[in-house]
Amino acid sequence: MKTVVRRLSGHLARGLAMIWVVTTLSFVIIRNIPGDPVRGQYEKLIEQGMSPDAAERATAALYGFLPKGSLWSQYVDYLNGLLHGNLGQSLSTPGTGVATIIGSAAKWTILPVLGGTLLSFLLGVTLGVYAAIKRSGKLGDALAISGSLLHGIPQYVIGLLVVAVFSTLWPILPAGGPVDIDFAPGFNGPYIASLIQHATLPVLTYALASYGGWILAMKSSVATVLGDDFIMAAELRGMSRGILFRYIARNAILPLFTILALSLGLLFGGAIFIESIFNYPGLGLLLVNSIGARDYALMGGTFLVLTVAIVVANIAADLLYAVIDPRVRKGAEA
Amino acid sequence: MTRTSAPGVRVKDLTVVYKTPAGELPALGGVSLSLAPGTITGIVGESGSGKSTLALSLLNAVQPPGRIKEGSVEIDGLGNVVELTGEELRRARGRQVGYVFQAAQNSLNPLKTVGKQLLDLGRSHDFDDLPALLKDARALLGRMGLDGGRVLDSYQHELSGGMRQRVGIMFALVLNAHLVVLDEPTTALDMITQAAILKIVRDVHHERGLTTLIITHDMGVAAEVTDSLAVMYGGRVVEHGPTTEVLGSPRHPYTKGLIRAIPRLSGDIDEARALPGRPPTLGTIPKQGCVFRERCPMRIAVCDTVDPEPVTRDARTVACHAVGRPATPIVPKEYV
Ligand SMILES: Nc1ncnc2c1ncn2[C@@H]1O[C@H](COP(=O)(O)OP(=O)(O)OP(=O)(O)O)[C@@H](O)[C@H]1O
Ligand code: SF4
Ligand SMILES: [Mg+2]
Repeated sequence: MKTVVRRLSGHLARGLAMIWVVTTLSFVIIRNIPGDPVRGQYEKLIEQGMSPDAAERATAALYGFLPKGSLWSQYVDYLNGLLHGNLGQSLSTPGTGVATIIGSAAKWTILPVLGGTLLSFLLGVTLGVYAAIKRSGKLGDALAISGSLLHGIPQYVIGLLVVAVFSTLWPILPAGGPVDIDFAPGFNGPYIASLIQHATLPVLTYALASYGGWILAMKSSVATVLGDDFIMAAELRGMSRGILFRYIARNAILPLFTILALSLGLLFGGAIFIESIFNYPGLGLLLVNSIGARDYALMGGTFLVLTVAIVVANIAADLLYAVIDPRVRKGAEA
Repeated sequence: MTRTSAPGVRVKDLTVVYKTPAGELPALGGVSLSLAPGTITGIVGESGSGKSTLALSLLNAVQPPGRIKEGSVEIDGLGNVVELTGEELRRARGRQVGYVFQAAQNSLNPLKTVGKQLLDLGRSHDFDDLPALLKDARALLGRMGLDGGRVLDSYQHELSGGMRQRVGIMFALVLNAHLVVLDEPTTALDMITQAAILKIVRDVHHERGLTTLIITHDMGVAAEVTDSLAVMYGGRVVEHGPTTEVLGSPRHPYTKGLIRAIPRLSGDIDEARALPGRPPTLGTIPKQGCVFRERCPMRIAVCDTVDPEPVTRDARTVACHAVGRPATPIVPKEYV
């Protein structure tokens, strides 16, 4: 238990450091962008006839920190605001808090990414075991080759291919937006069916983008475990095939949990391209749009939330690892 | 289905090859060796002489890139194991033949406790009374100086090298197999523990009436526990006979050299002389003639061209042209 806590606190410390770096970076960017948007906003409001006090408050609401005072005190104000969940106001959608916008976009990213990861993990791991055991068979070869091919294709290219195949060449699935606007939102059949239809291609893209990696990783992991002494020992003791298979699978899957975190991070990053392709209103598209609109507060907030998502994915993957591996769970050096 | 008496084992003309970049090379070049029922046989020989390969052959478990090319391994009650496959072979392993393999320190699944793996073993061999199996395991571990209950609750990484070896021995004995093969079972142990473990192996051997094969680097261990002793060199059994006789009056030049190299057995440290030269590897084992001739002080002309056949006289088998024969060139046909 002690090791788990130690590992966890390590991850937490690193995650917080990463989040801090990202927030500081976005503060520095917003504050130092040519033309200084904060200052600009403040002056614009004054020009529009606002009193300096009112203009100051309005700007603070917009960016989450006050435009006056030393850079340092502005920074402290900004961090303080973040700690209280205040991400500022959106510039491109006046009157709406950044937190609210991000909150409604987050589900469009998190659910498809998790769904795609789960799908590709299960598929890739199963097929990877098969590819490792049937190394010399035709199907095994084909699987390994398909794995390497897919692994090498960038995510956005996979996204474009998926669109080309499933909504242009062979139009069976929608490739734009999260849902048909014809249906009334709510818990009703047509609406949910439309949701699922629209989610299929993005999820498929996420799955395809990471599935090749899983096959390759699982295949090499199984090959390593097959060469381990304890597998031979189990064979020499006449362990049944089912038990042997479980020994192999469980030991081979273990190192993949470290890649799981990496893969989730990659997919969250890939959301930027994939959501743009599918015009899917998640965090990635939000980030792209906020950059286009020079909505710095929204940009910083989205970036921050994506970072938090990656950190949380890391920690979750590590916890899973610890649950499965007694060497970590029970805290030994070996 | 389990035998209640010690099985005899007859290895005949066994050739095992490993695939290497230079083609398939023999690690065992037509080995014949019999284990008499109820005896403890030891195999000694330098590293690479083929001891483990021979031991694995008893379970038809030579690992790729190796394979049994020729020969047979007859075990009473099992038949020729070289011809066993699939479930039949799996069931023989563990249940009929207990095996402690050389890397016994890594013989456990790191993700499961010893006890859980023992239950897996019991289920694999259709044991109904699993609690009794656990009890037997605890008793065996207890005899080897371990806290059985604690060990069964432990993961591999919680056990020391010596403890893991003893767990390996427990796994080989717990199913009550009547043929037990131990490949260097005590290498990770200190002298005192080693002696204690070997005593237990011998006690269990007598109590249960087993046939036991022990592979060791250590002539002292061989002298201590074995009834008969086989000496291997370059994939051949060069001498085999009752342990006291082989050690007391070695006939093969290699056996003589081995014994002279050990102060404890030769009696005097000053007299202990290391064997000159190095043992051959797969690639350097001579393809014809005697495999030992490069290092042999008694080498004669025929040794360069003719591989000496094993010849048995007074319960001793020796493969050497210079033993019990005139040291003159010999027509090979006489000995075929
Ligand atoms: N997997 C393998 N591939 C190629 N050659 C092998 C393989 N396993 C064993 N050999 C070779 O076969 C020969 C016999 O090996 P073996 O392990 O049986 O020797 P050993 O007498 O048990 O040695 P040691 O005392 O070191 O355990 C050696 O020359 C070894 O290099
Ligand atoms: S056969 Fe010849 S070389 Fe080989 S051990 Fe005997 S004397 Fe020496
Ligand atoms: Mg060996």
